[in-house]
Amino acid sequence: MSSTMSYLKQQLKKNFQTYAIILAMVVIWILFSFLTEGRYIGPQNISNLFRQMVITSFLAVGMVLIMVTGNIDLSVGKLAGFVSVIVARFQADIWFNYIPNHELLTTAFSVLIGIGVGTVFEIIQGYLTAYLNIPAFIVTLGGSWVLSGGILIITEGKTIPANQPLFSVIAQGYLSPTVGWVVSALIILFSIFSMLKSRRNKIKYGFKPLPMVLEVIRLVALSVLIAIYVAIVNRYNGVQIPVMLLAVTAVVMSYVSTNTPVGRYAYAIGGNREAARLSGVNINKNVFKIFVLMGLMCGISGVVLASYVGYGTIAAGQGYELDAIASTVLGGTSTLGGVGTIFGAIIGSLIMASLTSGLQMMNVPAAWQYVLKGIVLVVAVYADVYLKKNR
Amino acid sequence: MVLSAPVKPLFIQRMKNMLNDIILDIRNVTKEFPGVVALDDVSFQIKRGEIHGICGENGAGKSTLMMIMKGVYPWGSYSGDIIYEGKELKLENRSIRQASDEGIAIVYQELTLVPNMTVGENVYLGREPRTSTGINWNELFANTQQILDKYHLEIDANELVKNLGVGKMQMTEIAKALSENAKILILDEPTSALSEEETERLMGILRVLKSHGVTCIYITHKLSELFEIADTVTVLRDGRVITSQPTKQLNEEMLIGHMVGRKMKERFPKSRRKPGKEIFEVQDLHAIDPGDSTQNVVNGVSFNLREGEILGIAGLMGSGRTELVSTLFGEYGKIRSGKVLLDGKEIEISSANRSMRNGISLVPEDRKKFGLVLIQSIQKNISLANLDQFSKWYKIDFMAEIKATDSIAEKLAIKAPSLSVLCETLSGGNQQKVVIAKWLLSDPRILIMDDPTRGIDVGAKYEIYKLMNELAEKGIAIIMISSEMEEVIGMSDRIMVMCEGKSMATLEQNEFNQERIMALATGC
Repeated sequence: MSSTMSYLKQQLKKNFQTYAIILAMVVIWILFSFLTEGRYIGPQNISNLFRQMVITSFLAVGMVLIMVTGNIDLSVGKLAGFVSVIVARFQADIWFNYIPNHELLTTAFSVLIGIGVGTVFEIIQGYLTAYLNIPAFIVTLGGSWVLSGGILIITEGKTIPANQPLFSVIAQGYLSPTVGWVVSALIILFSIFSMLKSRRNKIKYGFKPLPMVLEVIRLVALSVLIAIYVAIVNRYNGVQIPVMLLAVTAVVMSYVSTNTPVGRYAYAIGGNREAARLSGVNINKNVFKIFVLMGLMCGISGVVLASYVGYGTIAAGQGYELDAIASTVLGGTSTLGGVGTIFGAIIGSLIMASLTSGLQMMNVPAAWQYVLKGIVLVVAVYADVYLKKNR
Repeated sequence: MVLSAPVKPLFIQRMKNMLNDIILDIRNVTKEFPGVVALDDVSFQIKRGEIHGICGENGAGKSTLMMIMKGVYPWGSYSGDIIYEGKELKLENRSIRQASDEGIAIVYQELTLVPNMTVGENVYLGREPRTSTGINWNELFANTQQILDKYHLEIDANELVKNLGVGKMQMTEIAKALSENAKILILDEPTSALSEEETERLMGILRVLKSHGVTCIYITHKLSELFEIADTVTVLRDGRVITSQPTKQLNEEMLIGHMVGRKMKERFPKSRRKPGKEIFEVQDLHAIDPGDSTQNVVNGVSFNLREGEILGIAGLMGSGRTELVSTLFGEYGKIRSGKVLLDGKEIEISSANRSMRNGISLVPEDRKKFGLVLIQSIQKNISLANLDQFSKWYKIDFMAEIKATDSIAEKLAIKAPSLSVLCETLSGGNQQKVVIAKWLLSDPRILIMDDPTRGIDVGAKYEIYKLMNELAEKGIAIIMISSEMEEVIGMSDRIMVMCEGKSMATLEQNEFNQERIMALATGC
């Protein structure tokens, strides 16, 4: 039992920052629940809150790796916006004229075009940054202006509808309560399976696996969280499809960041570029790859954005890049590179959304919402710096 | 109640100190960290105007002691007393200026100058003389030059620091300390980056300082320097003072014995290796600086390398040793002419990655800057160059990775609670072992080691020497650059001497002698 305790202690110390930020989130939720007499954690608000965080969360997920390599991408908001107006334009003019009655096809094409455009743009920016050594700050600042122009050109200053019913499901759909429960049961089963597999693998290599108690506690905690969440949102409309999408994307990207060479190299490049280079890591190629991943995220984010609002507008994606960067930093990603997790960024994004939602619910004027959010960001990062120094 | 009871013996001690002219009296200082006693009842005295050497293995407590002297660990965070100039030294954490104001200055191991500023600006950084409207530049440069000249430092106050060599940068740091009227100058490993010539100059300057009454605390791993310059030597081991006595009463063997706690028969382990067939050859290599094509960094180097031998490269700082090996590794100079042959076939040299695939590895000179990702774990650092070994279909097999890193770490006896410990927390010797482990895992045929024992303690050095011998016995060809004459003579099968980017000669073991090597290194 003592080994279990010491393991817990060690984990707590190691992931101190993660726990601190989760704690901060819980505090925010409790605070707003009191201030709104419980409406804040009602099913409708919880459901909307999670839906609202999705679009910037995709960007934050990609931004983590960009920042881990020591770069930054200021164009992601505009890129998501550009993708959304492209998708809207295709739906309004092209699909409508050439394949009017194939809803499944047009939706599939919209998604592919969106992701394609996002990826291609980041391929260009990634090439300029990684191979031509132009600072990412400059490349992506220029990129965001180019995209601003692009949005105006595509929209011609007008609002374009993107509201075919099937396409709208991407960001506005819900799983029926039964399906929701089935999916969560599958996720839990999968977790049990992968836990057992990893234990078997450890034993095969002659390592001592963690005490079974711990693994069970972890699984139970995860299952309870999922169950509570599903129970709450099922009382409104059900599990939100965009949230599912985000969860899948985050898991995949998290896997990429920890279990693949590309991810490992990203952290090494950000941690010490010269040491990585002298260890035979191809810096250019790996930074480029991270930009391509960012493009993928921007594409997905743009498609969800178009589906979420139902049209493409000239203001699409305005300022999202800063929300994404703020979420990432709140989630513990270092602005100097080398440090950061996908999970942290998701929590950071959730905190930003929770604040916005709570302040809106309390009818705080928009101007003051900005002021408060700004203060929270800076104070949170200061608290992190302070705790690190005085631990 | 000014004099409470326990203070009284201290008072008597102060009187004694004044009589014996003790400037710094460290009495029963104990400093604990959770789980570790860094300093354990440390007591010794430093006389005014002497050069006081402090030596000890890494982790012996030298740095902790220096941190206390600088106020990083403030008064009250340790027990015991430090009596300085007859009164108790009470440094606070808030300002690092306080130690300087008291006249205690530290010249750090890593230089802390701003390269794009002049010597004068650096010397007065943060306390520039003022006029009513701004900085009094005339006074600043005049004062700086006066200090530089007074102590024969031979530096122009208007020179940009980045144009100075390492040795002169260090002297600039010393000038900075002196401009703050330092009474005690603490030099932490001052010669670890200096050539023998520059070291000699530094020694000369320290003697000048001594003649001006400045007290010096000289921390070093290089024992020969202590015998050359120190009046008194204090040896620390595991946080305790082992001895503190006049240098005259000591010899090198005794000192090493005190440091490691055992008599060390030999500083260089014996090896029974037999070099095999030739595998690598460099013919008349010329290379230029990649940033400045007018600069020749390698200017005619030829040598060959056999399986299972250690080829030492000797030369002064600036002789192009590091430039040569970085160029051979594919990460520095642009090759203009000459050939590099591996197994008799000419190879192309373009990047670290390609060199690795050719079986060539480089343990770089500056491990913190080029060797390690300090904020990552030991395990991640070791596997960084070898992820391909553990990856299938873009997926890292963690278990295989852990198994491989565990076994290599054990073989090299890397001392750490676990391999998930961050490299920044390791001692210099262990950090160097991590870098070596990384390269051994890549299974090299040729291992280039650029000053592999720089800044690490005697015990760890010995382990690294032993490791090098083992590797050579297994048939790995090692190229070793060394700044220490004894090391290069003690370890090498053959020695190539370089001067100004040229290879002067390659000496066989029976031709090794210090005078010959020095003559070649300076004879171009």
